[in-house]
Amino acid sequence: MTPLMALSGVMAGRRVGRSCAAFLWRVASPCLLFLLLVSFDLPARAQARPSMDNGQAAPTPVEFESGAKTSVVPAAEPTAEELAEIERALAADSATSDGESVHSAESSAPVLGPVGAALANFNPDLSVILDVAAGWFSGEGEAISAGGHDPRKTGLTFQQLELSIGKAVDPYFRFDANLVFSQFGVEVEEAFATTLALPLNLQVRAGQFLTRFGRINATHPHTWEFIDQNFAVTRLFGGEGNRGLGLELSWLAPLPWFAELVFSVTDAAGESTARSFLGGGEFDIESPLDFQATAALKQFFALTDALSLNVGLSATTGPNATGNDNRSDLYGLDLYLRWRPVSGETLRWISLQAEIFWRRRQVPGDLIQDLNAYAQIAWRLADRWSVAARYEWGGAAFGIDGEVTHRDWLDSDWTRDRHRVSAAVTFHPSEFSRLRLQGARDHAPSLAPSPVWSVFVAAEFFVGAHAAHPF
Amino acid sequence: MHRSIHSSRRCLLARRALLARLRAFLFCLLGLMPALAQAAPIKVVATVPALASLARDIGGDRVEVTSLSLATQDPHFVDARPSLALALNRADLLLAVGLELELGWLPTLLTGARNPRVQVGGPGYVDCSMAAMLRGVITGPIDRAHGDVHAGGNPHYLFDPHNALRVGKLIAERLSAIDPEGSAIYAANERAFAESLNRRVADWQARLKPLKGRPIIAYHSSWLYLAEWIGLREVAFIEPRPGIAPTPSHVARVIATGRAEGVRAILQETFYADSTSRLIADKLGAKLLRLDGGPNTRRGESYADHMERVVAALIEAMAPAVQSSKEARP
Repeated sequence: MTPLMALSGVMAGRRVGRSCAAFLWRVASPCLLFLLLVSFDLPARAQARPSMDNGQAAPTPVEFESGAKTSVVPAAEPTAEELAEIERALAADSATSDGESVHSAESSAPVLGPVGAALANFNPDLSVILDVAAGWFSGEGEAISAGGHDPRKTGLTFQQLELSIGKAVDPYFRFDANLVFSQFGVEVEEAFATTLALPLNLQVRAGQFLTRFGRINATHPHTWEFIDQNFAVTRLFGGEGNRGLGLELSWLAPLPWFAELVFSVTDAAGESTARSFLGGGEFDIESPLDFQATAALKQFFALTDALSLNVGLSATTGPNATGNDNRSDLYGLDLYLRWRPVSGETLRWISLQAEIFWRRRQVPGDLIQDLNAYAQIAWRLADRWSVAARYEWGGAAFGIDGEVTHRDWLDSDWTRDRHRVSAAVTFHPSEFSRLRLQGARDHAPSLAPSPVWSVFVAAEFFVGAHAAHPF
Repeated sequence: MHRSIHSSRRCLLARRALLARLRAFLFCLLGLMPALAQAAPIKVVATVPALASLARDIGGDRVEVTSLSLATQDPHFVDARPSLALALNRADLLLAVGLELELGWLPTLLTGARNPRVQVGGPGYVDCSMAAMLRGVITGPIDRAHGDVHAGGNPHYLFDPHNALRVGKLIAERLSAIDPEGSAIYAANERAFAESLNRRVADWQARLKPLKGRPIIAYHSSWLYLAEWIGLREVAFIEPRPGIAPTPSHVARVIATGRAEGVRAILQETFYADSTSRLIADKLGAKLLRLDGGPNTRRGESYADHMERVVAALIEAMAPAVQSSKEARP
């Protein structure tokens, strides 16, 4: 009985109404079956596949090739038949390779320096990431989820197909782009150049980019611990997170610890990227104040070899859509505490991440404010498994008199606090794929009359150049 | 009245204390002057401790060496902590293993480091694999169905001391290029390093002779160069493919192979989980050698010290007869 079977049993037995459970089971069972099949013995199945290239052994640095029939062994002790089979396979291997281990696609003699496939080429590094999900909601999913890549209704969701492109342009610039393909088109999520050789520890980014307001905003779905976007980000900036065309200047302070100051000026318009500012409307730029300006201080403290603390302070300001030179100001504090041992099994880690956002907006005749926060913990507990839990809170907007207000032109109904609790389990077949299961309870009295339960199953596949993960 | 006298006296005392402190500060500053007059050390940053140790041997007093990872950390998966970007920001020379070993973390750090000296292509960027004799170079088509393979070759090349000699030469050249004044010193240090390491290699090879042709099982393909150098046969890997965690059916086959071959030693780096390896070792009656991936430079261990530790562990596990003669050694 694998943990996944146990998990699916728990899911099926959940008291969420018989019809709901049945539907959930219908949606989730193929995915779980897939998860189960894949988790059980992915590499062995791949090995058992006969090689396709004209009878030659597939290029692999591993023994036991050439179509050795694989059966599933419950214990680690090989059976007699299996031993015989292995001996046959070994004999076959040694017959083809003179008793050498099978490194069929590798050069056997040592060579000086990198050659062959590793020879430099001028093509940019490409990677492609596919995220697909199946979701079930006990209520109206579309009323409560707003993330551009979130599963938003019961059924299947094509979250995204992301193409990342990057390469040094010349000794002075590096180019990076993230193009996101949905079922309906292509979106240039990010495309920017970064300077590499400015003096005085300065760095400039120019183009379209996610602003470095807070911690989660600048990240992409494939680095998230959860299948869906944080609702604080979707409430403050929109389904895609805060980004825009613009210019960013950052400076690494000459201090004994890492302290980086970031300033950026970006377009203040965008329905799903800058909704607290100009949003989706058309506006003319008349002065520099018509842009969104962001400042952030990112500090890192290596508390010990294993324990890291990131602290960020952010502020952003820009014009908003209510006219009369009204402005929106947002402030954020983010904390990221990560423990990862540097000896023993170093692929284990625990991370704690929390952010709080304070938003103030001028509207005709009032100044409305609100607070949003979330905290999440993620634990990589085994080579292939990780778990995570998240709590999010979004406060009702209140006016200058301190009373809850309906004057919020974006979410006029958000007059009561919203709470969402999510839990996720992730199976990592390798570093390049993730299979995830997530459950959540969303209590949003202003958006849905009763708490909405949801369950997502998602898969993520990554091909191409190895991703470099920012901390 | 009383109070004002009192306060003016306090003021005077405070001023005196301030002056004393200022004087102390100036003395300190003067004391530092000669040190400042001396050339500041060349700041060398190595991605792994083995390269850091080579840089220290060759750079001597003229360099200040930092390693971005520890010997007990998996160099494939180092967290790109911003403090490492800070080290790179101040570096004059960066020594990388190359062959995509650091691909998951070094590029992010380098971009954030804002230091043109050590950017790829810069005068201070050294891909040490350029000097090494490489094995495991993929010549056929490549994809990750083979696991997390390194197209350019197996990156654990420093486990062959001959590669350490070659890399040492490269480090001396690159140090001389960025610090021409010290080139004579670097050349002399490199000669001394090579002589001393050559002596030890001769000694190791003599002691390891009885192990030639013996089978071993490895967890990850980290020991290819060591095996080729000593003449060990890697008959199985506990990882079914590089970077893929072991599965039951694969483990069963590893045990079968181990029995058929009479494997006496299982090699793995300390950062991999060891329960599977321990199980296999138990079934085979073999010894599990959990070795650091490089020298523990924090404890002052050098590249040669670490290799000595590896050699001694192999001999102890695989040739008990040889051990007694080793104990007789001074």
